[in-house]
Amino acid sequence: MPNAFDPNNPPFDRLTGPEMETLRKALDIGYFRPGETIIAQGAPAEALYVVIKGVVEERDGDEVTGLLGPKDSFDGRALVHGESGSAFAAREETLCYVLPKAVALALVHDNPRFAAFFYLELSRKLDALAREDEDSRVGTLMRARVRDMSLYPASFIDADDTIETAGRRMRDVNTNALFVRNGDQIGFITGMNLSKALVLDRMPLDAPVAPIVHYNVISLAPDDFIYSALILMTKTNKRRVAVHDGKSYIGILEDIELLSYLTGNTQMVAGRIDRAVAVPELITAAREIGEQVRMLRRQAVKVEAVAEIVSDLNRRLFAKLFDLIAPRALRTGACLVVMGSEGRGEQTVRTDQDNALILAAPVEEAVLDKFRHDFTAALESFGFAPCPGNVMVRNPAWSQTVDAYTTMFHHWVAMPDEHSHMNVAILYDAVAVAGDAKLLARTKAELMETVRGRSAFMVHFARAIDAFPMALGFFNKLVARDGQGDAVDLKKGGIFPIVHGVRSLALERGLTETNTAARIQRLVEIGTFKADFGRELTQSLYFLMTLRLDAKLTAAGTSGALVRPADLSSTQRDLLRDAFQVVKQFREIVRRHFNLGAF
Amino acid sequence: MIPRALKRLFHQISIGDQSYRFMFDPGPPDEAVAFDCETTGLDVRRDDIISIAAVRIRGNRILTSERFEAVARPEAAMKIDSIKVHRLREMDVGAGERIEAIIPRFLHFVAGRPLIGYYVDFDVRMVDKYLRGLIGIELPNPMIEVSKLYYERKYSDAPPGTTVDLSFAAIMRDLDLPALDQHDAFNDALMTAMMYLRLKDMKQRGVRIARTREVDRPQTTIG
Repeated sequence: MPNAFDPNNPPFDRLTGPEMETLRKALDIGYFRPGETIIAQGAPAEALYVVIKGVVEERDGDEVTGLLGPKDSFDGRALVHGESGSAFAAREETLCYVLPKAVALALVHDNPRFAAFFYLELSRKLDALAREDEDSRVGTLMRARVRDMSLYPASFIDADDTIETAGRRMRDVNTNALFVRNGDQIGFITGMNLSKALVLDRMPLDAPVAPIVHYNVISLAPDDFIYSALILMTKTNKRRVAVHDGKSYIGILEDIELLSYLTGNTQMVAGRIDRAVAVPELITAAREIGEQVRMLRRQAVKVEAVAEIVSDLNRRLFAKLFDLIAPRALRTGACLVVMGSEGRGEQTVRTDQDNALILAAPVEEAVLDKFRHDFTAALESFGFAPCPGNVMVRNPAWSQTVDAYTTMFHHWVAMPDEHSHMNVAILYDAVAVAGDAKLLARTKAELMETVRGRSAFMVHFARAIDAFPMALGFFNKLVARDGQGDAVDLKKGGIFPIVHGVRSLALERGLTETNTAARIQRLVEIGTFKADFGRELTQSLYFLMTLRLDAKLTAAGTSGALVRPADLSSTQRDLLRDAFQVVKQFREIVRRHFNLGAF
Repeated sequence: MIPRALKRLFHQISIGDQSYRFMFDPGPPDEAVAFDCETTGLDVRRDDIISIAAVRIRGNRILTSERFEAVARPEAAMKIDSIKVHRLREMDVGAGERIEAIIPRFLHFVAGRPLIGYYVDFDVRMVDKYLRGLIGIELPNPMIEVSKLYYERKYSDAPPGTTVDLSFAAIMRDLDLPALDQHDAFNDALMTAMMYLRLKDMKQRGVRIARTREVDRPQTTIG
């Protein structure tokens, strides 16, 4: 029983007290001299090792594929799945806890949460981790109960009471629904029922409410979780449920309360954007979009959902701005598009602007110029930094006619300069947010037509995945000793290669999706890679995006692209290692696909 | 003072309790036991053992899963005759055992294996004190002193006048071992075991411990 064994060290933090005792009783400590093999490649795993001190190399043949430091464990997957795919050797004098296989497997068998750590697939591990995150956040949305919501009061009238009485009562107690007593029965009546009765059925005001009461009241207890309420509403297609504490009705829960609780105030932000009648009103909304991100993450909303919500709000914002300031000539004969991460729907924290205007026909220069400047300036006032590459409506090259774009594409492909490939990439990710969306569809079709069959161009395009090569020592940095070591660039090392590799494959196939996960899904469908790998790739991307977003949110003002291994938990480091392995495999697939080695 | 080897021979012949003959057989090859006693003080004659902990080492593995740990009931309680009071005291000290019951179990755990310790001589003499009365022998085991192994790796070629630091903390630091809470007999035994494996390996590979501070000092004054 090494007392020093840290029970908070994942995955052991998932063990119960008695399981931890079993574990402690079974632990030995192994000492390994530099160069000594701990597990040979292909050998059956006899034990689970947890590094106490020192550094262990994970090797595939001669290549070092990973470095493990204190608190890291190996080779859990081999233990569960048979033999070891990698070799493990001490890089320096190393002490490890040694947990015999039989004990480890018994724990895996008895404790599903502990077992999740040993799943072979990254996606399953991530799911398990996400569930745990959700579990561990006290007071998160799904833990909230019906009684925590703000309820409308339970107010009763009789079935003999008139429509007028019902209407006045609703106004007096400020609610939209009333309970109705009819003998032993309890029914329900809403403001909408009253309106319909009066307007559509032309019932008199002094008619009793009885005929319009409905009796299939669905109810929940105050202690029920709000997700039950959500499910119940969805299933029964009701906008309200009654709350009954076992003795009597105590209130009414409306869907709008539930939704605003679940999604933060995104509804309100969307409403604010929609109601805006002048540009300055949008400034508040733009700021609120930024605040939503933090709130959504705090509620453990997954990064892909955050990105979707934020993208939706941003697009609404852009569309509203276009509505407010676009001159008549542009409203019908132009299309406003957002590009880059915004177009892919993967933006969470605001980055710089990537937007463009596509014209159906030439527009009077003075009118166009004014719009270009007004639009870009308004976005700046919202906090969208200007694009360093000047990919913005303000730039005449990014606000021209479909024909002019097409000419530009031919230049890009025939005589590519340093920006051409990135420009193609940016435009390929474009999504229409306002105006005539058909213009963008036409422009993109031209773009794909231009690059089709241009294999030399495609090779150069795809080659950008190697723009930030993973240095041999990359993994050393990642899991340096004691979790120290240099920061790891999530964007260059992981996010960009996935996004761009997928983009390259999608562009070559002429896919119309813009979202990376959607592109992966389509690539799987057309057989570019297997469903399993597609899932791994998507999950790796989401995991990297999550790390990046959380890093950004904790250290405001940074890009979040760099994370220090020391700031990650040992589970996160383990997952990061897995994610980078997936990136590595994916780079290989892209390289082989475009035959990058041959050029 | 009679050489220990001679004493060993004498005890082998004179042993009171024949059932402890196994103590004189060599232990399993490649095995040793690191151990540590916590005591009421440093005077072997007057002070008592509070706890004993030991851990077996096989090859390069510390068998923490086969540990020995025992907490002794303070001697003070034993000296009080009254059964009533005695029971009370027993309740006070909880799980403590009589040292007379601990020592035999300890012997069975150790058997003929070499004993490893930090200033192991003190711990051995502490155990011997009880052993003589109980069985009529002293611990016959070979002894391995980690501070001596450490001295060899670090100071055996030091120039005269070098300050020698053999403190437990200095060894831990030089060998870059994880510090556990000290003055818990088991942790001390465990850290001693780690020191032993590390030093044994360094010795086999001919690696020495740099005396950085001592070497640095004259250089910096010259510069």
